[in-house]
Amino acid sequence: MERVLDVKNLKVYYYTSKGPVRAVDDISFYLNKGETLGVVGESGCGKTTLGTALLNMPTPPGKIVGGQILINGTDIVTLNENQLRKNVRWETIAMVFQGAMNSLTPAYTIEKQMLETLRYHRELDEQEARERIKKYVNLVGMSDDVLKRYPHELSGGMKQRIVIAMALFLEPELVICDEPTTALDVVVQAQIINLLKELKEKLHLSFIFVTHDLATEAEVADRIMVMYAGKIAEIGTNEQIYGEQGPMHPYTSNLLAATPRLHQKVDKLSFIPGSPPDLLNPPTGCRFHLRCPVVMDKCRTEEPPLKEVEKEHYVACWRCYNDE
Amino acid sequence: MKKNGSSFDKKTDKKASSRKDSRLKEFKRSAKEFWQEFKQVRYGIVGLILLIFFVLMVLLEPFIIPFPEAGDRWSDISYWIDNPRSASPAWTNWFSSKKSTVHEFLSEPEFQVTETPQFQVQEGTFIYDYKYDIPPGELTLKARGKGNIVVEAELIRPDGEVINLVRKNYNSRNETEIRIALGKEAETRIINFGRTYESAENSRSVQRHLLKPMEILFSKAEEGILVNAEPLKGEYQIKLRVVTMGQDSYFKDSEIVVSGKVFGLLGTDDAKRDIWSGIVVGTKWAIFIGLLTALVSVAVGIIYGVTMAYFGGWLDNLMMRIYEIFVSIPMLPVLVVFSAVFSPSLWILILFMCVFYWTGPVLTVRSMALQIKEETYIEAAHALNASTGRIIFKHMIPQLIPYAFANMALSVPGAIVAEASISLLGLGDASVVTWGQILHAAMKSSAVLKGLWWWVVPPGLTIALLGMTFAFLGFSMDKILNPKLKTR
Amino acid sequence: MYGQYAIKRIIYAIINYAIIIFILSALFNASMEATLVSQIEEMIQGEFMARDLTGYTVTEINELKAQRRDELYRRYHLYDPMIVRVFWRTFDTLTFNLGKSTNVTSSAGERDVSIIVGEAIPKTALLFTVSAFFNILIGIFLGIKKAQKPGGLLDQSTSILTMVVYGMPSWWLGMMLIMFFVYKLNLFPSGGILSTPPPTGIMYYLDILYHMALPVITMILLRAWGGAYLIRNIVLGTLQEDYIMSARARGIPENRVLYGHTLRSAAPPIVTMSVMSLLTSFGGAIIFEGIFSWPGMGNLYWIALQQNDIPVLLGNLSVTILLYMGGLVLLDLIYGFLDPRIKVGGKR
Repeated sequence: MERVLDVKNLKVYYYTSKGPVRAVDDISFYLNKGETLGVVGESGCGKTTLGTALLNMPTPPGKIVGGQILINGTDIVTLNENQLRKNVRWETIAMVFQGAMNSLTPAYTIEKQMLETLRYHRELDEQEARERIKKYVNLVGMSDDVLKRYPHELSGGMKQRIVIAMALFLEPELVICDEPTTALDVVVQAQIINLLKELKEKLHLSFIFVTHDLATEAEVADRIMVMYAGKIAEIGTNEQIYGEQGPMHPYTSNLLAATPRLHQKVDKLSFIPGSPPDLLNPPTGCRFHLRCPVVMDKCRTEEPPLKEVEKEHYVACWRCYNDE
Repeated sequence: MKKNGSSFDKKTDKKASSRKDSRLKEFKRSAKEFWQEFKQVRYGIVGLILLIFFVLMVLLEPFIIPFPEAGDRWSDISYWIDNPRSASPAWTNWFSSKKSTVHEFLSEPEFQVTETPQFQVQEGTFIYDYKYDIPPGELTLKARGKGNIVVEAELIRPDGEVINLVRKNYNSRNETEIRIALGKEAETRIINFGRTYESAENSRSVQRHLLKPMEILFSKAEEGILVNAEPLKGEYQIKLRVVTMGQDSYFKDSEIVVSGKVFGLLGTDDAKRDIWSGIVVGTKWAIFIGLLTALVSVAVGIIYGVTMAYFGGWLDNLMMRIYEIFVSIPMLPVLVVFSAVFSPSLWILILFMCVFYWTGPVLTVRSMALQIKEETYIEAAHALNASTGRIIFKHMIPQLIPYAFANMALSVPGAIVAEASISLLGLGDASVVTWGQILHAAMKSSAVLKGLWWWVVPPGLTIALLGMTFAFLGFSMDKILNPKLKTR
Repeated sequence: MYGQYAIKRIIYAIINYAIIIFILSALFNASMEATLVSQIEEMIQGEFMARDLTGYTVTEINELKAQRRDELYRRYHLYDPMIVRVFWRTFDTLTFNLGKSTNVTSSAGERDVSIIVGEAIPKTALLFTVSAFFNILIGIFLGIKKAQKPGGLLDQSTSILTMVVYGMPSWWLGMMLIMFFVYKLNLFPSGGILSTPPPTGIMYYLDILYHMALPVITMILLRAWGGAYLIRNIVLGTLQEDYIMSARARGIPENRVLYGHTLRSAAPPIVTMSVMSLLTSFGGAIIFEGIFSWPGMGNLYWIALQQNDIPVLLGNLSVTILLYMGGLVLLDLIYGFLDPRIKVGGKR
């Protein structure tokens, strides 16, 4: 399978007045063409940082400190702003932001903003540009007259669709969706999820889908990547993580267990005690060891590497390796 | 039943007082936090230091000015009578090649008293160290005396020359003030003295009425003394011999006023008033007017805004209408016309300014209060049946206090400038010595045209400095309390 | 939608203005009437001087005068109850019937207050709009530079400058600059709008510019920093918005993001701030114009004060308030135009 994205040893730190916060600390993974990779984790595990880093646009005071991000062979970490702006951003990778409520400039109409983006990347005359825009607006299930509107005139769900349309219309290799449904109500959520599934099939795009909502992830993702405290805990296929067998990493299994099922009767909600660690001074050894129910002595001192334990299934846990 | 009731009350009383304690503790804690952050803002500290400086100036007023009654006796000519008119500050001498005499008061020397049954003879010598190039305008002997008095004075120059200055008789039944302009009295003698040293040619050519006795008195005894004199620096002695006749006669509290061209820290205006005294006296008024106006108007504005937010509905609308009317009026022109027609006192002036300044915080406070209203603890307070007043004053307003302080600090300079403007136009309360009043006198006497910069610069400068002080304080408070501006 | 908004604002403003003029008329009624009474006497004297009164006895003359006086009092509603008098005064003011001055005259020697004030308006407008123009330009330029490097040297130093001049009266700075540049260095004229005699042709305009230079410089030195500070804050706030990051992610060039998206979105508060600072400096104009002998409305107050000319003071005040409110309405209209939420209205 062809890989569209290959991330190697990526490190993204935030340089605050108190020191560097290691939001993403040496992670490596890949994405196959046409695949949807779901990235899950608690708040503050580094998944949003990962999203903006993949565009080489980490939110200040963040900086990419090391590693490579290879898109179809080109390492975008080494490119300068101009190149990024011209060739990478939106052309190759597009992003659907968290909270589309505020992703559109309030002063311009939808059409104007879409035209602007389109014209910066493609040499199209006005007529062609408008047609392309109309095509994608319809594709996300909306009528043409939304184009003349201003962002404040649209509902949350409508804005989300527009933002998706904008992400797609340059037909990029990779689309990153950062919590696209979190701010929406359940009904609209379902609509958007279905839309994304549809588009995935129609356009054969590669997606990275970032969310903390495991249920949504189960619906859309082909493979799942679980992040914890800036590191990858586990990567596996949908079946491997959500299936009968269950995940291997203790964090992942506790995460799944903490999600109440609709049809299960529960006396007490299970949860993971403690809170995510301080990334200014991360714990030694395995970052999860302070909250892990099956922690061993080795976990406190040595950091477990990400190893393949079965085909397409990677875990970073001393308990889970085959040669244990 | 009753027993239980009383013990229950005791419990809730205890709870109430412990709640008060914990609230006090919380207040102390947040005050400490605030101070920590405030310390870090450099200009905030500068502002604080400046404020302390100004407050000290107000508190130490009677000690740091040479004319402690300046405030009450500003318009009393007799209080200032011995000062030079429109004199520049003493330190300007540093910058001129020719030093002007600094205005001085020579104090009474130890008198040698010789007594006989019929009369008393007092003899003493005033010492004056002359070190300037431009001589004093006059030497004035002042004293208080009663009865039959004969005053004799002579001058002994550093070069040994002695000049008789005056011999004058006084006879009065009541205590009277004695003022003798020594130079004027001895004019002829001094000019003759000069002529003895001057060349015949110069003596003849020079015009009598142009000769100034003081210039001759303090110049080198040589040719040119009348036309192109060289200053004679050194110790001058004025020997005084006073004879008082009769039991009830006396001569006391004498001093000699050396009328210099430069005076004091900030010079004098054309009514001979010491400007430094005026500035210091005006400080307390400036701070008073500024703070009072800011306090009252911000307090009113906050209550207004919170009331609008809390009650909403038609009251909100009505209050908004009223607010809009007030906001549409430019304060200063209305204040000017009002003052022109009604000549208000200082208090009315302050009241008037409050009437315009209260609108400042209203909109911001209203939106802040609207946000607070949506918070769940307000709902909880409602559920507990708390009264409106309690909710507004105990829950909403404390949150607004930091904003209130910043707003107050930033309103002060405007009020000070407004009062100064009104006073400058001559519409203020003339009975109060404010910096604006000083400027008014300056404008009336065309001080700018005459180049009397020491009269025009200091009052405005202090207005600007005090304004800057409050700006520093207000901005630093704003920076800490306004989360949007954090640039992390 | 916008049309509705605009009309609503204008109507409110007119009603508010009427209310304010009513209150002012009531407040100053007594002194205006005193002036009116003496002006009527003056008028009667004048009329009777010009008439041929031979053949009339003194009593007859006095009776005629009393008749005439009665006639005039009736015309000016002086016999009517207080509320009616105030009403008529309000009406007169609102229709720009501002009466006659007691001393001050216009350039052509007329005593009609409306004309006197009318002549002064363009001069004040000229000075203040030019100053505002430069202030806004510098404010935007500096403000954006400051926002790009917050906490940097430029940012900190100009912020300190803002605070230093915060409490400085405009007229005092004017005085300082006059003492230095006019009397010491003789670089600028000491006052007025034109030299005497005024030059013709293009020199006429250059002469005005020459006289305008020092006042405008004073205003800029005082206000530019404050504007830059506020714009910097507004722009910083806007730059943190999600849609700015979103625009950057879409590969839009930084310049376009800065000016097209950020500035355009921040335009409503920036315009508000600029216009408000223009309007508030209007208030301090009285002494400011006086210092520079600039023949505008502010200076007119000064002159009227010195000559104790109440009709001119009140007439000037009414027009000042009108212009001030007009400015506020204009601000509302521009704001509404710039902010699509008002221009186009709410959700569908």
